[in-house]
Amino acid sequence: MLIQMFEKPLGMRDDFPSIVKRKSKLSAAGIQIMEQYGYEMLQTPSLEYYETIGKISAIADNQLFKLLDNQGQTLVLRPDMTSPIARVAASKLLKEKMPVRLGYYSNVFRAQLREGGRPAEFEQMGVELIGDESLYADAEVILLATEILRKLRVESGRIVIGHTQLLQQVLRGYGLEEAVIEKLRSEMVAKNKVAYENLIESLAIRPDAKKALQKMMNATRLEEWKDWIDETDEIQLSLYEDMFKLKAILDRNGLEEFVTYDLSFTSHMTYYTGMVFEIYGEGSGFPLGNGGRYDGLMKQFGLHVGATGFGLRVDRLLEAMPAETEQLQQALILFNEENEEKAQAEAKKMRESGLTVTLQFAPAVKAQNEFSSLFSKVIRLDGEENG
Amino acid sequence: MVKKMDKLTIAMPKGRIFEEAYELLVQAGFDLPEELDDSRKLIVEAPNEGFRFILAKPMDVPVYVEHGVADIGIAGKDVLLEQTRDIHELLDLNISRCYIATAGLPDTKIDIMTPRIATKYPEVASQFFRSRGEQVEIIELNGSIELAPMIGLAERIVDIVSTGKTLKENGLVEYDKIVDITSRLIANPVSFRLKQQRIEEIVERLRK
Repeated sequence: MLIQMFEKPLGMRDDFPSIVKRKSKLSAAGIQIMEQYGYEMLQTPSLEYYETIGKISAIADNQLFKLLDNQGQTLVLRPDMTSPIARVAASKLLKEKMPVRLGYYSNVFRAQLREGGRPAEFEQMGVELIGDESLYADAEVILLATEILRKLRVESGRIVIGHTQLLQQVLRGYGLEEAVIEKLRSEMVAKNKVAYENLIESLAIRPDAKKALQKMMNATRLEEWKDWIDETDEIQLSLYEDMFKLKAILDRNGLEEFVTYDLSFTSHMTYYTGMVFEIYGEGSGFPLGNGGRYDGLMKQFGLHVGATGFGLRVDRLLEAMPAETEQLQQALILFNEENEEKAQAEAKKMRESGLTVTLQFAPAVKAQNEFSSLFSKVIRLDGEENG
Repeated sequence: MVKKMDKLTIAMPKGRIFEEAYELLVQAGFDLPEELDDSRKLIVEAPNEGFRFILAKPMDVPVYVEHGVADIGIAGKDVLLEQTRDIHELLDLNISRCYIATAGLPDTKIDIMTPRIATKYPEVASQFFRSRGEQVEIIELNGSIELAPMIGLAERIVDIVSTGKTLKENGLVEYDKIVDITSRLIANPVSFRLKQQRIEEIVERLRK
């Protein structure tokens, strides 16, 4: 038999039943934890205005799926969840309650430009804590993210934490021009240590400053940041002290061994204004999720409140989760016309006791052996022998 | 937490760069098999160091590393410039030194109406001409780029130059040097964080 191929648009994927099943378990576990931490789940529309969400979201313009509505307005398929949630919070929720804790489990869309291997539609789950500028809010979202990973049994995870504002202050403290700082920052975002070191080498600054800056992309412990902090600068000092308070909370919750503190870790997303983090796990070659403080985004919606949160990629969590070991009991009842009523009764009884039962009219199945082999138990009520 | 000796997968470029890169690792004191007995093998183990080498086409090294099937790799800067992948660029290995340049037949000018450029590096070429305010048509070729100006496919080529011998033998001259190229040590962002200590140690040993 020749199988005809019907193709999907670039980057779109089908989820087969086994994946759907794992996803529904994953979402149930994730949502349960978010709710236990007091986050309320929110759903926003798939389509948003390009003028607001499209432009505010940090996703590159050529990665947006755009379309026109019947008024000729440009719409986008939502490329992230943080900006729609900020929109809702700004226009409605914040007047009712502050701080507000919102969670989501939604699909987002990002057009893929190059090759396969990257989905153009994928699910994300995460939270946004809006209206709290304290480090305790930052600690809460990190703990919540790791709690979800623990529940999903993702092993050898690692969290890398940086601080965008502190990094900016530190670089300014060296008396560098804004254009140079921007260049250094973009090499950090590109994770290009070679270009970063060459750039530092070319700067006309004191040799000891040069030597210190050369090492900035190597730090893994918070104590090492001391080498770059100007202790006479009150802003730097207070941000640095806050990071130690954050670390103490994380350490107390058993995360000491899992966190890397890298001052040079930063994001291309300019709306991050404080602590930023990324989560990694064995099994996926791409980060499982990221987050941080994004007070800058709220400002774009006219709100001067703090906000912090994270998003986890469901497709990558599936790669990092251990494979399902328990084989689910799946029963099959094959029946013929004569035994139809008996089969229905049997299936009802079994389903009530919690089993999964497929009821199938036997003559409709062409390859009976192959079909039966998909089930852990087969009951024959079609006049044939069990076996 | 149990610290286990993880196997480290290293993507190496096959061909010319391979020998040089392998020699560099041996010089850094890594205990590697003396000879790669069978050059057709695509995966070579170095059990004493816990390394596994995968031998890939130079253009594919960043692909393996970005997807995380190789933890680290050795790739030419030319390939990295062409592909812009999400990887850490850790160290300039200063091997396989060459540069990318434009070349063409002597005493010729670029056609103003339809300037055509033949190259294996469409991204690098188009960026270079755009930076000079020239919009050009790029014709992508996979090898023997020098042919293009000789038979009238394009006025200029953008290609790797190491000694300039190939250009000379085909009667071409170099016009503009675009960028210097060396091989780089690159790492997958997840591997870099999960195996940071081990990878940094390799970087330090190679730096010397």
